[in-house]
Amino acid sequence: MIELQNVTKYFRTPRGKKYILKDVSFSIPSDVNIGILGKNGAGKSTLMRMLGQIEFPNSGKIVSDKTFSWVMGVGGGFQNNMTGRANVKFVCRIYGKSKKEIDSSIEFVKEFSELGDYFEMPIRTYSSGMKSRLTFGLSLAFDFDYLLIDETLSVGDARFKKKSKEALMKKIESCNVLLVSHDMGTLRDICDVGIVSNNAQLHFFNDINDAIKMYNSINKER
Amino acid sequence: MQIFIFVLVKMLLFGAKSPLDYSVFITIGFVAFNLFRHILDRSMSAFAGNKGLYAYKQVKPIDGLIARILVEVLISSIIATIFIIVGLYLNRDMSVENIGMVIIGFIWLIIFSFGSGLFISVIGIFFESFLKVVKLLLSPLMFISAVFYSMQNMPQTLQQLLYYNPLAHFIEMIHDNYFYVLNDDFVDYEYMLIWTIIPLYIGLLLYRKLEKGIISK
Repeated sequence: MIELQNVTKYFRTPRGKKYILKDVSFSIPSDVNIGILGKNGAGKSTLMRMLGQIEFPNSGKIVSDKTFSWVMGVGGGFQNNMTGRANVKFVCRIYGKSKKEIDSSIEFVKEFSELGDYFEMPIRTYSSGMKSRLTFGLSLAFDFDYLLIDETLSVGDARFKKKSKEALMKKIESCNVLLVSHDMGTLRDICDVGIVSNNAQLHFFNDINDAIKMYNSINKER
Repeated sequence: MQIFIFVLVKMLLFGAKSPLDYSVFITIGFVAFNLFRHILDRSMSAFAGNKGLYAYKQVKPIDGLIARILVEVLISSIIATIFIIVGLYLNRDMSVENIGMVIIGFIWLIIFSFGSGLFISVIGIFFESFLKVVKLLLSPLMFISAVFYSMQNMPQTLQQLLYYNPLAHFIEMIHDNYFYVLNDDFVDYEYMLIWTIIPLYIGLLLYRKLEKGIISK
């Protein structure tokens, strides 16, 4: 269960406050995979970042007894001067893994991401596809209640995409996903329920297909 | 390299005869000054430079800053060790008058640098031009910080003027406690304490208030 209590979030811009969420109270049931839809700039990513506790509401609270992963997005989350291995090790350490667990996690990520020699090279030498491979491999090495995924799936070559989707499907048997995506196919496959973010409000749908319908109708308006 | 040039200039100007070993004097000055400058330099870019890592909620901006300072301290210690070995090899007189005070001086300098670095970077995150001003001020700072001269040999008027530069006190303190022939009349420990506590306090206070803003900026 994730509960938003009177959450308001805005960004100050030279053209006044831009509201992402305006006094939103809301609860998301447990044990479902959640897809978040919305136009660009509607605040999907910000919502994710707030759940991942790296962005903070201007007022109100977000309460949950579940653990959340960091927000897995395109790029980011890595220290560019360190090697892939060192970055994996770093993340394992800040999540408090033991030495043994770290070693097995590193092996797992190395194998899964198929980066070969690049795994031992600094992140700045990586292409964006390679970074997302590493991100994805890393995300599978942890056990969270919720994985926060911000369009990570939409990169990579066809074969890896297929492989990562299969791995994710297997993973969500034991954990849940919060997914921001513009790819309706992926959303239908993975998510059970949907949230549409529009005009600083959130709309909850028990069926992802209804959410997609609403999303499409919003898009038609403009 | 810098040290070598300065030693050469000094030798040409004043001759090599002096009650203290000038090359040792200047080396200590440079190690101390560079420690300060590098800590400031590194802290100024720390908040923006580690942005990628704030994706993990465990990582706070100040962690990166402290890590950077520790790296700088480590580098300076290695450099100092190398200089000591070179000095021993060249048979320099490196006897220390008061090793305890020299060590305290360095530790104090590190705390002072941390405080000012934090203060500057917290302000710099919201006023980027402030960082540029500080960078501009840092380069001539070396010449007014008693790095390659002792305050005691300076004329009275200049001493009064340089009194306001806290860094001069720190480097002078380290110098004076290192060499038997120098005394620390110039050094005002109270003044140094004020300059250590106030930036540290304001820096930490502002950081606490603005931490969330720095993470999500």
